[in-house]
Amino acid sequence: MSSVLLERGRARTRWRRWLYGGLGAAAAVGLLAVLGVLIPLDWVTTLSAVFMYILLAEGWNILGGYAGYLNFGMVTFFGVGAYTAGVLCTQYNVHPLLTIPLAGIMATVVALLVGVPALRLRGVYFAILTLIISFLTQVLVTNLDITGGASGIYMPSLPFDPFTNEQIFYYAFLGLMLLAVLLAFIIEHSRFGYALVAIREDEDPAEILGVRTTWLKTQALLLGAFLAGVAGAIYAFHTSYIEPQGTFSLDISIDVVLMSLVGGLGTWQGPVIGVPLMLVTAQVLRILAGELPFFGSTIPPEFDRVVFGIILILVALLAPYGVMGLVRRVRGRRLTV
Amino acid sequence: MLTTISLSLLVQALVNGLLLGLVYTLISLGLSLTLGIMGVVNVAHSTLIMLGSYLALELLQRLGLDPIISAVIAVPVFFLIGVLLERLLISHVARASQTTGLLVLFGVLVVIEGAAILRWTTDTQVLSVSYINASLTLAGIAIAVPRLIAAAIALVLVLLLDTFLRSTLYGKAIRAMAQNRDAARISGIDTDRLSLLVFGLATATAGVGGVVLAMIFPFDPQDHYRWLAWAFLVVVIGGLGSIRNTLLAGLLIGLIETVSSVLFPFQYVYFIVYLLLVVTLLVRGQGLAGSQSRAL
Repeated sequence: MSSVLLERGRARTRWRRWLYGGLGAAAAVGLLAVLGVLIPLDWVTTLSAVFMYILLAEGWNILGGYAGYLNFGMVTFFGVGAYTAGVLCTQYNVHPLLTIPLAGIMATVVALLVGVPALRLRGVYFAILTLIISFLTQVLVTNLDITGGASGIYMPSLPFDPFTNEQIFYYAFLGLMLLAVLLAFIIEHSRFGYALVAIREDEDPAEILGVRTTWLKTQALLLGAFLAGVAGAIYAFHTSYIEPQGTFSLDISIDVVLMSLVGGLGTWQGPVIGVPLMLVTAQVLRILAGELPFFGSTIPPEFDRVVFGIILILVALLAPYGVMGLVRRVRGRRLTV
Repeated sequence: MLTTISLSLLVQALVNGLLLGLVYTLISLGLSLTLGIMGVVNVAHSTLIMLGSYLALELLQRLGLDPIISAVIAVPVFFLIGVLLERLLISHVARASQTTGLLVLFGVLVVIEGAAILRWTTDTQVLSVSYINASLTLAGIAIAVPRLIAAAIALVLVLLLDTFLRSTLYGKAIRAMAQNRDAARISGIDTDRLSLLVFGLATATAGVGGVVLAMIFPFDPQDHYRWLAWAFLVVVIGGLGSIRNTLLAGLLIGLIETVSSVLFPFQYVYFIVYLLLVVTLLVRGQGLAGSQSRAL
């Protein structure tokens, strides 16, 4: 955030940089839009997953990255979104398209109920509370009748051929991801974003200096929850079957944190870099796992979890600002105030 | 007739709860020690517990060792694991910010859990010892033998640790360190070496805790989050003040679990414990963080 405030560069260079940035972004968006009809089916599916995680990570980053409140239960809002869509669609015959915004709203309501008291806690205690809330929600969903219990919900499928289906989800996730990235960009360059960073740097002085910390943290949480809820709803239609173990999996929460961390906490580019990086790593590891000998047998797919854990440790200790931190260091700029 | 049955059920639940509570005290002690003395929230604690369970399983299957012997073996093994972890990671974490420490320890959790799945798969395991289904009947109350042994081991270890911290010079130094690390350092206490000792002890209690838990419950590499929540609940309720308070909190959680499993279907026990943890964290989580002083 400091880049805009501290940089006393000439207006022209900055204008030029924005122009190039804008052109680059437009080219990237154009490319992704065209790719949706050009590339084979499995690539479309892989890229949809990348877009979904970027959407989640951008949502997580608002509170976690800018304000420094690590939410280890992001999957709560994702799962609530998925289940809202599932329940409304299968039991109340609500039109699928309508369930998606409703899922976002439901996730926001849940965030309001559980998150607002949680935000009274700081640091580690906030993280643990959000973690436990995701377990609590999972147990609740597993045992309620309306959610289908442990056997889950079969979602209605779209009336198209498989390839068209995948393309629809590709463009849905792409569009939402772009909105989320744009939102993060706007937040980063707004008073809202500066205030969140002030909370991260030192909350008490920020409050004394007139930052309405509670309200801003709440807003950050709710925005992230809404994005996660919408992502969850589309995910539900995409996978066509949701059950509590997978939909509320802790892996999703940890992956979102890890991907944001690797890309760079508190930067709008962070998730855009971190998500593909980690998903490609996972993919490569799975391919390698089929070839590398491992104590005489082949490496099972869980191998990538171990590598993810090691990456989490190393990045947290050695490069806490991720790829963006390294980029900014190379460019000779400071990341924080 | 009905009331006598439900009364004896209730008494049985109380006895079982107290026994379970001793085990819960043991698995929570390490979390309380590292948080209270070193200021490190060890979210990977439950994966160390899980490793303890698998140590017991391996020793039983490969060498036919009884878990009672495994519990003794677990002490030096896990003390060493703890010392290594402290040297490699925790010593760096303790100097970094709390959130960095949390991220690192989550990484440790993911690594240990993933490695355990690679090694032992996600299958549920039980320690099939000869006395697994044996039970003693005392005054009309049936007590499972494995549970009794587990509780006895837990009690011995808790008392040993309490005595160590109360009556030895090392214990005194650790208490001094908990109260004020800088002042302890100025007084000539080697706080770095003591951190090693504390984390080693904490890991050892987790390891033995895993061994005794495996005598009572089936286990797999992924259900350790349950014990993380249980241990946190004990720590949050008992506070960081003393091992005796941790013991009281552990017994309380044991009672809550068994009594609520008599009153409600089994799956609601999780719900109740998670909910309790959410509420107690909200009420006194930050207070825990603030009260760094530790009397023991």
